[in-house]
Amino acid sequence: MTRARVLMGLAFAAVGVGLWFALTAPPDALQGEYSRLLGIHPPSMWLAFLAFGVTAFGSIMWLVKKTDRWDRLAAASVEVGVIFTAIGLFTGMVWGQAVWGTPWDWQDPRLMSTAVMFFVYLGYIALRNAIDDPTVRARRAAILGVIAVVQVPLVYFSVNLFRTLHQTQSIRPDGSTIPDEMLLAMFVNMAAFTILYIALMVARIDVAKSESALAPESALAGEAVRPPRLDEVEDV
Amino acid sequence: MTFWPQALEIARVDLTVERRVGSTLRITLPFGIVALMVFPLALGLRLSIVSEVGVGVFWALGILFGMQIALRQSATDTPERRDLQALLGVDPAARFTGRVLSGATLMTGFLITLLLTMALLFDPDLPGGAWPVLAAAAVLVAVGLAELGTLAGEVTTGLSNRAPLASLIVAPLALPLIIGGSQSVGAVERDTGILPWILLLIASDLALAVAGVALARPLEEATR
Repeated sequence: MTRARVLMGLAFAAVGVGLWFALTAPPDALQGEYSRLLGIHPPSMWLAFLAFGVTAFGSIMWLVKKTDRWDRLAAASVEVGVIFTAIGLFTGMVWGQAVWGTPWDWQDPRLMSTAVMFFVYLGYIALRNAIDDPTVRARRAAILGVIAVVQVPLVYFSVNLFRTLHQTQSIRPDGSTIPDEMLLAMFVNMAAFTILYIALMVARIDVAKSESALAPESALAGEAVRPPRLDEVEDV
Repeated sequence: MTFWPQALEIARVDLTVERRVGSTLRITLPFGIVALMVFPLALGLRLSIVSEVGVGVFWALGILFGMQIALRQSATDTPERRDLQALLGVDPAARFTGRVLSGATLMTGFLITLLLTMALLFDPDLPGGAWPVLAAAAVLVAVGLAELGTLAGEVTTGLSNRAPLASLIVAPLALPLIIGGSQSVGAVERDTGILPWILLLIASDLALAVAGVALARPLEEATR
């Protein structure tokens, strides 16, 4: 637990530094103060993609190795990824309301596919919660974890494949469309959010380990009942 | 018995059981048609709107009722039946393929019937060339839904809240199928070329088929 606390402290410090960079960068000429959301929105979505990629990796490794640690990794990563997806969706809606004039566009493939990704991983969590047996849970979740990741590239490349309200990637091989100060803030926040992701993962995996350690005691019905001993019967 | 005879035999047995049980023909199909009839009433019988939303309603109902077909009781194996198939040496990939074949056959029949009913009730204002595209897209969507439904059905086998849970998994993952189906018809209307959307449907079907075959063994063991 000490390791998790140290990491969490480090993560909060890093996020604090990242937010300071985002809040002190000069505002954009067109987007005004809302451009500061670039410090949160892209890093959140980057973390969501990373988290779901890690889930797929953990799922594949569980199917190959069948060891609990990979299942714990996959499960923890989904929970953190869903939180970051929710943050990304929310900050995107706030930014969209200010810049596009609407928080949501039902015809926009990026917005819709991101929302769908969010629901798929909520389904993953619901599936895990519905199964008591740890091995059955791990196996079924691993199968879904491998299938669900197929949509992640679809979400990422949706801005290139379809005509969308959402802009295409701002950072390309030929340069960036973002001012240098805001770009720096975005990268600092990406690093900070990644440290936060690692800290949350370590904490969640520790909790999962504790749950696994406690599980056998509560799983065996009637374990508290002591079988009668022959010598005691003879004494009576 | 090699792969394809095994898959075809499983599909044949599935369809025979379904013919006897009749859940698709006697329950899901009439329910789908009733749902189609509810929409014009809910829209206040404004014929211009009804004609405009017809194709969209078809896709929405097709996905929702398609899940019921994919998760039908007759497509659920008991643990004993799974064990028997394993002991008989049935290839898990052939089992998955057989399930998809029977599901896709039922789903195609369902979607085509729903499409004809929609055309009759909603009288959608579509160019003549859109109808064959709509039918072809319906077949590709049926295959994809059958694959997704088979995967989700296996993953949720034996759970008390199986139907809503599997639907929660299938509905969002069916997004490429909904986009491909609806946009292919839209492309005919806009005269912008249907190939990318048909390719999206084919790619989705292939990706799901590869995933299903690759994960067939863990799927077979999913309840143990």
